[in-house]
Amino acid sequence: MHLTVKKLSKAYGFFWALKDLNLDLVPGELVALLGPNGAGKTTLLKLIAGLTPASLGKIELDRMPLSRASGSSRAQIGLLAPAAHLYEDLTVRENLEFFTSLYGRKNDAGNISSALASVDLGDRADEFVSTLSSGMKCRLSIAKWDLLEPGLLLLDEPYGVLDGSGVDLLEEFLKAHCRKGNLVILASHHVSRVLKISSRAIILHQGRMTFNAPRQQPWPEFDQAFREFLPHGEA
Amino acid sequence: MKLLRETYLVLRKDLVLQLRRRDSLLTMFFFGTLLLFVFHLSFDLVPDRVSEMAPGLLWLAFLFTGTLGLAQLFGAERENQCLDALLLSPLDRGALFLAKACLNFILMLLVELVIIPLFWILFNLQTWNLLPQVFLIALLGTLGFCVLGTVMSALTLRARARELLLPLVLFPLMIPIILATIQCLGAVLRGGELGDALPWLRLLIGFDVIFLTLGVLVFDWVIEIE
Repeated sequence: MHLTVKKLSKAYGFFWALKDLNLDLVPGELVALLGPNGAGKTTLLKLIAGLTPASLGKIELDRMPLSRASGSSRAQIGLLAPAAHLYEDLTVRENLEFFTSLYGRKNDAGNISSALASVDLGDRADEFVSTLSSGMKCRLSIAKWDLLEPGLLLLDEPYGVLDGSGVDLLEEFLKAHCRKGNLVILASHHVSRVLKISSRAIILHQGRMTFNAPRQQPWPEFDQAFREFLPHGEA
Repeated sequence: MKLLRETYLVLRKDLVLQLRRRDSLLTMFFFGTLLLFVFHLSFDLVPDRVSEMAPGLLWLAFLFTGTLGLAQLFGAERENQCLDALLLSPLDRGALFLAKACLNFILMLLVELVIIPLFWILFNLQTWNLLPQVFLIALLGTLGFCVLGTVMSALTLRARARELLLPLVLFPLMIPIILATIQCLGAVLRGGELGDALPWLRLLIGFDVIFLTLGVLVFDWVIEIE
């Protein structure tokens, strides 16, 4: 999925959370979205997901304007918010069955079981989501988006709730998702970890994009741009 | 066809959640019953006067219990940002509206199935033969209430004091349906003939049809408003 963002701005009252953002991301990229708290990362993800309207500018998916009213456009965008977007009083399996049905994806028992097994939740399929830990809910979200296969997957700080094997699982899933020609945008504060798997980095600072380039090794420009908001003690 | 399929999916999910939680249904049921007992203790009505007061009292009970249900209508979606998950999905907003309106309609009908006979028992009404007509009018009135209530519930979804705001916004808009339902019920209870209140019955049906259609069409705008 090709994502183009032109002069995108978002204001909350008199405060500009994002200002004049331009992006052109091609299929297969795994984009690291970085920046300090309040930089506008979540706002950008919500705008692309169509969960909040832009104040100015436009977003295009595969050269077509993103229409919030179009179901087919929305089916192409996924937002993995750890431990959210799941019904607590439905079982793990019922959640997956509900969302796959909504997206018109295959939801036979075998498909769901194998998706759950891939995130080590095979034995929790008939338990209520409310009984799962945050990390397990995040794993369930991974299984959910694995089944829904969106062309553009957005992730908002997924590392915080995952343990070591969960992180490996997430990264393997993201790499495999990109290999299929899908676009992934991953917002996180775990810079070194995100940079290892990403093919491009974007830095937002106070609502403006201060850096946007494909990954290189070594990467002095990134180091310089990143140093401006680097928290004390982080290398 | 897609609209109906998606309506069914969301409604089935909501009914499963309701069966597991039972909070809305039980609250509505106990509140409705409590109101009837309060009315019974407050008004020492002779049988002749009951038929005059019954339509208003019954509708007050429906209105208040229904408002309780509306306040909880998007309860499951407010947890865990599940509304965002639905808005992010290709789900037709009209289907979301229909599913939520149907859910509230089913809950209210279940409550009314208990409240209406209980009203007849508490106020010692002898006109049990009129119950089918009373249920028919209650059904039409409840449909209008649920349709308009679902739109208003979604409109106030992100409001800070939504439980306070919802009745303030909803009740003035409900006046035509309250009037029509009370007039229809009054005509049935007085003379046993629904035909006496035909203009009000037409208004009631018209209101239901118009707001059901409008709800499907405008819900996309209503649910996404910030």
